[in-house]
Amino acid sequence: MSKIGNIPVNAQAGKKRTNPLAGVFDELVQFCQSRSMFMLHYCTGCGAIELPPAMTSRFDMERLGIQPMVTPRQADILLVTGYVSVKTLKRVILTYEQMQSPKYVIGICSCTVNGGMYWQSYATAKVLNEYLPVDVYIAGCMPRPEAVIEGMRRLMRNIEEGKGHAWKDYFQRYDYYLGNQQHLFGDDWQTPTDIIGEARHYGLETEQTYGEHTRILEQHQQPLEPHKMRIKF
Amino acid sequence: MSTITELLTELFLMPLIAFMVGLAMVLMLRKIGARLQRRVGPPLLQPIFDIVKLYGKDTQVSHGLIHDIGLVMAVGGYVAAEIFLPVPGMDGIADKGGIITLSYVMMVPSLGLALGVGQCANPNGSIGISRALTAMLAYDIPFIIVVFGVAAHYQSTSLVGMIEYQQAHQWGIFEMPLLAAAGLFALQGMMGKQPFEIYVAPAEIATGPMVEMSGKYMGGLFVMQTFQLYTAGVLYTSLFLGGGSNWFEFLLKIFVVVAIPMSVAFVFPRYRTEDMVRIMWKWPVMAALIGIAFVL
Repeated sequence: MSKIGNIPVNAQAGKKRTNPLAGVFDELVQFCQSRSMFMLHYCTGCGAIELPPAMTSRFDMERLGIQPMVTPRQADILLVTGYVSVKTLKRVILTYEQMQSPKYVIGICSCTVNGGMYWQSYATAKVLNEYLPVDVYIAGCMPRPEAVIEGMRRLMRNIEEGKGHAWKDYFQRYDYYLGNQQHLFGDDWQTPTDIIGEARHYGLETEQTYGEHTRILEQHQQPLEPHKMRIKF
Repeated sequence: MSTITELLTELFLMPLIAFMVGLAMVLMLRKIGARLQRRVGPPLLQPIFDIVKLYGKDTQVSHGLIHDIGLVMAVGGYVAAEIFLPVPGMDGIADKGGIITLSYVMMVPSLGLALGVGQCANPNGSIGISRALTAMLAYDIPFIIVVFGVAAHYQSTSLVGMIEYQQAHQWGIFEMPLLAAAGLFALQGMMGKQPFEIYVAPAEIATGPMVEMSGKYMGGLFVMQTFQLYTAGVLYTSLFLGGGSNWFEFLLKIFVVVAIPMSVAFVFPRYRTEDMVRIMWKWPVMAALIGIAFVL
């Protein structure tokens, strides 16, 4: 845990696996993870309109074990459906950091891939995976529900085969992501979640976790304090 | 000695069976919801997938000791309730505790959840749990009146005795139809189904009490839900539908009881908390009081 007064990480650090059946358990958990995905849809743009048909009676995502959840704590997938403006991106990052690992990001629509029709916009973050580790992109303007479900199945296959580890990248190369975030939001950008502390705690830190950008963060970081209770008459 | 071994086996088996049956009930409710919306619905093992996945999360956020203890109370309260509920062939300690103890034990989960959610310090959670406790106050009044009426009718507070009486004579639902109707009304609130689900309200207060629950905590709540459905179903069956002489009959009855609130749920919009208290303290209480007058 870093010295700065962020939300502390309390859980136990990972232990050494000594159980001979550990591999079987891991496969079981991976299988269940791929068959039960709670998604948090952050509906930023027009791609959101393709989700209701994908969830309701026409295409019915629940038969694949995918169901919508409403808070980042409960969710496994963050669905970013459409263009992300600079202001929106801050919220997307806050949301992503509050989710519990393993967590996955799916970028829907061309706008998350390369900016799409907002390529020349000064207020839009163009490539989503510069700021967050994206597992699956679903291209199209907009992708039909079949494409959305196909993307979900791709993610399911990845998880089942043990390839859905993009979330570790955020801890392992935090300096890169933080640098891109600081480039957009300024040097005093900070989030309530202590990513460096979590990376250290869960044993996911590498040399690339730290760097010039994390040093800038430590210089500017201010301890989080609860809001003062005020009653106005 | 053999009786003690038998008792211990029963105390171990009863919550286990409750969990298995509860999983099937969760699946059934989700299937009913899906079919009413003309969807296919989740696959057969979906409740197990969900629980294993939630317990298999790599990172956990605990908001402190009370958060952990609250969840243990929420699940443990229902596990304790299961051993007071007689099932075919197994009585556990149902004949010792009776329905008064059971009513007390069934309040423990809500209180535990309130403690746990309180420490999360999330405003949505606080709103949710205050609504949930108000809702509990609303449906517990008619429920307790119903329980009192049933106990007065059978001259006994033992669920085992009530079931024996019903199997020898007639089901409670025919002898006390008003009380049974009031009980069904309270059951709708107890299971938190549609007209009375304002404390969950996913779009407005982000699932209320569950808002800060992640990983194992959410998994604990999913486990709690299985026990909750089972408890509600078995209690109503024991009071009014004559329990079960064999497992087939018993399971059929409790699944039907649990299916009723879900089947009618989608017809309704949602009551506000104060309206819920008003409607719960008016119609089911009135029906139950008239029912008691017939019984006494």
